[in-house]
Amino acid sequence: MRLAPLLVSLSIAAVWAAEAPVTFLRDVAPILNKVGCTSGPCHGAAKGKNGFKLSLRGYDPQFDYEALLYDLNGRRFNRAEPARSLMLSKPAQEVPHGGGLRLEKDSAYYRIIENWIAQGVPFGDPAKDAVASLEVEPKEIAMPQPGQSAQVKVTARFLDGQTRNVTGEATVESNTPDLARIEEGSKVKGERTGEATLLVRYQGKLTTIPVTILNPKPGFVWSKPAAYNYIVTLIDAKLEKVRIQPSPPADDATFLRRVGLDLTGQLPTPDEARAFLADPAPTKLKRTKWIDHLIGSPAFVDHWTTKWGDLLQSSRKYLGEKGTYGFREWIRASVAGNKPYDKMTRELLTSRGSSYDDPAANYFRVTRDPKPTMEKTTQVFLGVRMVCAQCHDHPFEKWTQNQYYQMAAFFSAVGLRPGYEVGEEILFDLRAGDDARNEMKHPKDSRLVPPEFLIASAHPVKIPSPQKRRDAFAEWLTSKENPFFAKAVANRVWSYFFGYGIIDPVDDIRASNPPVNPALLDALTKDLVDHNFDLQSLMRTIVSSRAYQSSYVTNEWNEKDATNFSHAMPRRLSAEPLMDAVASAAGARPRFPEVPLDTGADQLPDPHVGKDGFLDLFGRPSRESACECERRADLSLPQALNLVNGSTISDAVADPKGRVARAILAGKTEPALVEDLYLAALSRFPTKAESERAVEYLTGGPRAARAQDLLWALLNSKAFLYVY
Amino acid sequence: MRLIPIYFFVNSLVLLAADTSYFKDVRPILQKQCQGCHQPSMKSSDLDLTSFVALGQGGKHGPAFSPGKPDDSLIVKYVNGSLQPRMPLGLPALPPEQVAVIRNWIIDGAKDDTPLTTISNKPSVYIQPPVITALRFSPDGAQLAVSGNREILIHKADGSALLHRLSGKAERILSLAYSKDGNLLIAGGGTPAQFGEVQIWNPKSGEMLRSATLTTDTVFGASLSPDASKIAVGCADNTVHVLDAATGKELYKIGNHENWVLATVFGADSKRLVSASRDNAAKLIDASSGAFLENINLLRGELTSIARHPSKDLVVLGGAERYPYIYLMDRPKNMKIADDTTLVRKMERQDGAIFALDWSPDGKRIAVAGAAPDVNLYDPDTGLKLASCTGHAAGIYSAAFSPDGAKLATGGFDGKVRIYDAASCRLLTSFVPVPISAAALTAGGTQ
Repeated sequence: MRLAPLLVSLSIAAVWAAEAPVTFLRDVAPILNKVGCTSGPCHGAAKGKNGFKLSLRGYDPQFDYEALLYDLNGRRFNRAEPARSLMLSKPAQEVPHGGGLRLEKDSAYYRIIENWIAQGVPFGDPAKDAVASLEVEPKEIAMPQPGQSAQVKVTARFLDGQTRNVTGEATVESNTPDLARIEEGSKVKGERTGEATLLVRYQGKLTTIPVTILNPKPGFVWSKPAAYNYIVTLIDAKLEKVRIQPSPPADDATFLRRVGLDLTGQLPTPDEARAFLADPAPTKLKRTKWIDHLIGSPAFVDHWTTKWGDLLQSSRKYLGEKGTYGFREWIRASVAGNKPYDKMTRELLTSRGSSYDDPAANYFRVTRDPKPTMEKTTQVFLGVRMVCAQCHDHPFEKWTQNQYYQMAAFFSAVGLRPGYEVGEEILFDLRAGDDARNEMKHPKDSRLVPPEFLIASAHPVKIPSPQKRRDAFAEWLTSKENPFFAKAVANRVWSYFFGYGIIDPVDDIRASNPPVNPALLDALTKDLVDHNFDLQSLMRTIVSSRAYQSSYVTNEWNEKDATNFSHAMPRRLSAEPLMDAVASAAGARPRFPEVPLDTGADQLPDPHVGKDGFLDLFGRPSRESACECERRADLSLPQALNLVNGSTISDAVADPKGRVARAILAGKTEPALVEDLYLAALSRFPTKAESERAVEYLTGGPRAARAQDLLWALLNSKAFLYVY
Repeated sequence: MRLIPIYFFVNSLVLLAADTSYFKDVRPILQKQCQGCHQPSMKSSDLDLTSFVALGQGGKHGPAFSPGKPDDSLIVKYVNGSLQPRMPLGLPALPPEQVAVIRNWIIDGAKDDTPLTTISNKPSVYIQPPVITALRFSPDGAQLAVSGNREILIHKADGSALLHRLSGKAERILSLAYSKDGNLLIAGGGTPAQFGEVQIWNPKSGEMLRSATLTTDTVFGASLSPDASKIAVGCADNTVHVLDAATGKELYKIGNHENWVLATVFGADSKRLVSASRDNAAKLIDASSGAFLENINLLRGELTSIARHPSKDLVVLGGAERYPYIYLMDRPKNMKIADDTTLVRKMERQDGAIFALDWSPDGKRIAVAGAAPDVNLYDPDTGLKLASCTGHAAGIYSAAFSPDGAKLATGGFDGKVRIYDAASCRLLTSFVPVPISAAALTAGGTQ
């Protein structure tokens, strides 16, 4: 009996000595993530759990190591009796654990941690034991039909060159679980036809696997439709691969209405519609001519001024009334002059001095502090959301908390002080050599963080003294080599014409949100860069493509496609174009408070005008943030009730100087009146049946009232409320 | 030594032959499936399932079982879902074989077969040095008490010899305190997530005079009043317990902190005490009644440590925020919120969170140690740094001046005691306070 403890001790010592070295970085940290210790609801919560906090999903191994080993005088491990360590007895439920059973006592994970404690809890060498990259097998998954499964294998390559199969510890997630479902941790099951992306994460590294599940229906024969430009070639290459037949081009009336609303936010007038539909020129030629007519037109300038006003948050809430008008005029002049996008961006970021003399300086008056300015700048111009990284490394990207503060440091010296006139502010950069108040501080240890670019550029940009930091930043940002700048705006502009981006959401570009058609996005980006950031040229290329001009009517092969641009997707008119369309269809003059009569909704300076009315109900952005998501395209019951009962439509229809009233006074015949209303509201002639039915209605009672009813019905129809 | 294994042996034979065992069969199921929520520190539905007694007492719906009648037993009804919500809440149901074990045990009469305590008083065998969480010089300066695993090790003050090993129940000894006459040694600690213990030793004979167990986790920052009448400890249930040093009986407990209480110290006249907590507050308490008097600090960060001037009512406190602050142990009633005029001095920011503080017996130095591997010495009158003692590989959990103020002992994560010249920070000696492997094995063999 006496010998027993001695033998046990010896054998334990022998076992420990023989075990391969275990380090926190390489061996233990992945287990903490796998069994859930570091998850958001558990110890990864911002305040930890039950007095014990780990970094969220283990992004900060150093922090976790210290929390496990140093907190409360090393309470959680016991080198004298490793198996009695709290970090083992808790998850094994040997002592009560609010998080339940996480580690079986006889499991491999338990033994690894026990060995690690017995070996003296080494952290490991960050230059060797950290993960360098992930490799996945297969690199892409294609299933000929739903119902099949595929196993994903994940291999981690460490910085010392060693590799390890980490399939069991890696996290595999699907961005579309009802299409590609993850089973048993790393198996993917195809549920229905379409495409999805798997996100594979392990110890801060991530990679993606595209999944395509083909339509197994027999009889797919690719019939190659005509390609107008490179856009369709690239879309078709993808469509043929995934067995989707695109829709044919839309008819002239549909095109006319769509392109007008998308480029200018305005409906064509009945006269324009008549002329275009009657033009005998070849389709392609007359459409090109019409596109050229619209691009650069006054309505075009209004429309894109509104769009940029949204993104740059031009609002008197931040800028005051005079400041808002000044900023809006600056934006308007940039759009009207087709200022190259990189130049416009540089002017915004390097503006200096009086906000009245240089209205671009208002960019910094909206978000007055370095952090929100940096977040807005990266989201608008790079399509990258850095906000998560303020508190912890970005969970689904490579961006780190350090980078957040390094990027914010470019704006840390920017200052604003009151100017000489009411509402005027002076934008300045603090002098070099000023104290640390002008520098970003890291929240973890308050160390000063010098500025550093998010991605090193091909031609390194030197970061000069604090008062020139913004210039360096603008140079780096707008460089043709910046892999995000041109791509982000190309994708954003694209989304305005299709309703969704090639990467969607357009301002959430990250490795885990890959483009649905990378070749297409690359080609658009190159096109934009080759044309020196000429956004009008990019828009012309997009709206000239057959993809843009295709019909919304689907066929059996593309009816379920919502991501590959194989057919037009009907979109509800957004707030300002909808309100303008009501006015133009009814021939009523827009009346907004505080602005001159006849100022259209798409010409308003900021969301202050007409606040809480029709426009806000239909999702006009309040310009509180630079997120594209602020503009809502939703459908709601209050909207429907407003259309049916609200005064906007009923007043416009019954306007005593409106279209109906004028037609009645002019003594138009019923068929002419019906044709006029159809062209005004829907930009097309009524069909014979529609015309006969409408004429019959008009002649059945008081003519004016019935004509108003007809217009009211047209304005409440889907054909009016949607662009399609 | 022999009795315990034999007991086990006999016990398991009996079990094999007859009934389903509570200890061997039922308890492991409850441990894995139920104790996360039904434990003393959570007690969902007032139910604690960590012992047979608590199981019998049951929760707010009544006793958990009724011997011989499984279908009338709440535990069976809840796990099979005939009572809602089905347990374990939000998790998969127990597999049928586990439900059968519980049923059979109840059918067999629901007997308790928990063995008597199986922890021996045998000294720990060390393969690695454990972290050092507490150390303290004896008032005559001859000895140094150092924390070990389930024991306190009494060394000669120069580290030249291990004199006694005082073995106890508590796995961790987190604080040590001698009475001024050197006749009492107080140790506070316990076993994490299980129990807290205050041990009262005669350090000269190595005899344990009294032990008190309290709460369900270790106790922190145990301190002895200068008149040796009272012991104060901080607890993980946010309370401060004050015990009578002569009897070990609890005098009162205080519940006005909002997070774990990690440090306590009595005033120079033993009439008041200060408790410091992870809730950022240091609270002044009337030591005779336990009445709360005032917060003594402004709330800035989690507090881990506190030490008092040898003769004046001045305390130095510190924690996660890394700055050591010296405060008056007074806060006149008419002070306004955010008034910080009782702050005497703020010293420089440390390179890591503060874990340990000590004030030299001559009042001239303050030692500050923590997550960074250096101990910094400050002049309390000016706040200026006097010296920095280096050599530790990682965090330091305890620092103690010798009674003559000439030496400073430190210990922490790397398991080594270091003794410095307190004036120059020159390292005088360093040693591992526990016997490692070969020596330990020899000791085990000669028992």
